[in-house]
Amino acid sequence: MADNPGPALIVEGLKEAGVDLVATLPDINLHAVLERVASDPDLVHVPLCREEEGIGICTGGYLVGRKCAMIMQNGGLFNSVNGIVSTLLQYNLPLLLLVYYAGDVGDRSFATNGAMTQPVLSALGVQHFILRDPNEAKALIKRTLVLTQDYKRPVAVLLTKDVLGQRRPGE
Amino acid sequence: MKRIDCFKVMAELAGDALVVTGAGANTVEWYACRPGDGNFRVRTMGLVSSIALGMALGLPHRQVIAIDGDGSLLMNLCSLPTIARKNPPNLVHVLVDNEVYEASGEIDTATGAGTDLVAVARGAGIRRASWATNPDELRTVFAEALEARDATFIGLKVERARSEVPPYPMDEVENKYRFIRHVEQTEGLSILSAHMPASFLKES
Repeated sequence: MADNPGPALIVEGLKEAGVDLVATLPDINLHAVLERVASDPDLVHVPLCREEEGIGICTGGYLVGRKCAMIMQNGGLFNSVNGIVSTLLQYNLPLLLLVYYAGDVGDRSFATNGAMTQPVLSALGVQHFILRDPNEAKALIKRTLVLTQDYKRPVAVLLTKDVLGQRRPGE
Repeated sequence: MKRIDCFKVMAELAGDALVVTGAGANTVEWYACRPGDGNFRVRTMGLVSSIALGMALGLPHRQVIAIDGDGSLLMNLCSLPTIARKNPPNLVHVLVDNEVYEASGEIDTATGAGTDLVAVARGAGIRRASWATNPDELRTVFAEALEARDATFIGLKVERARSEVPPYPMDEVENKYRFIRHVEQTEGLSILSAHMPASFLKES
C-alpha cells in the first residue's frame, strides 16, 4: 500500500479543491487516506460513528460556508440514504462523497455491496465517477467538487482498490 | 412544563445564535418565539444535532443551538459520542423530551419507558449534561451553557401539548437560501456564487 500514490493524491486533490471539512468512517482500504486526513492541520476532521450523521455534519458545514467532503465505504453510503434524500436532495445541497467501492470487479470484499452501489446512486440521481487511475485523482476530485456545487446535489467519486492500495492475491 | 415557556426563556438569551430545529412542532413554536433567518429547520429525523455540530465546527466563534426531540435523538444516538469527541464550546444541544413521537401520532418513545437521554449524553462523554426541571432553572443552565468552554447538553421534560402559533412560513429551499444569506451578512462571508459568463473568466 505504501507504494500507491493514490491516497496522498486524493487528499492533495481535496485540499486543492478547497475542501476544509471532512467527515469520515474507517475501512481498512481507506486507512492510508484517513491517516492523512486526520493528521492534516488544514482540515477539520470529524470522525463519525455512523455515516448518516456525516450527511448532517457536512450540511451544517456547508450552510456556514465550509467546503465539505465525506469519506466512507459503500456500506456507509447505504446507511446514509435517508439523509441524502430528505436533506441533501430535499434542500438542493451539494456534497462530495468519496466512497470506497467495495465489491468492485477484482475486489473480493462485499460483492453484494459492490453490485448495488451504482444502481443505488443512479436511483438517487447522484452522479458518480469511478476513479481507477491514481494520476487522475486530483483532477477528478477538483472537477467533482465544482460539479456538486453547480448541480446542488451530491456527487460521488467511487474509490477502487487501484487507487487505494494493492490487491490481494487472487483479486 | 410547557415547551413554549422554555423557548421564551431561550429566545431571550439566544442573541444572534444560529438555531437548528427538527421536522415537528419544536420548529414552529421556536420560530414564533424567535423569528428570523438565523433558524434552520431539518427534515431528516435525527440530523438536528449533526447539522448543528457541522455549523459549530464550521464557525467556531458563533453560538449554535440545536433544539432536538426525543424521537429524533433516539434515531441518531451516535451523534452524542461524535459531539463529545469534538466538544465544540459553541454548541448547546437542547433536548425537548415529551416521551412521544408527537408528529407521528403520539406513540410512546423509549424515554417514557425509562431511557434517560441526559445519562446517555453523559455516558457518551458530554461532561456538561443535565436536566432543567423548570423555566427558571433552564434560564440559569442555558445562560451558563452559552458561556461554557465545552459543549453542553440540556434535557427538558415537557407536556404533550401544542401551543397556538403561526405556521412556519417557508419551504426547505427558501429556508436554506435565507439561512445562508443571513450567515453571509452577519459574518461578512461570501458562500453562494453563480457561474460567470465565459468572457469574465480568465481560465476554465
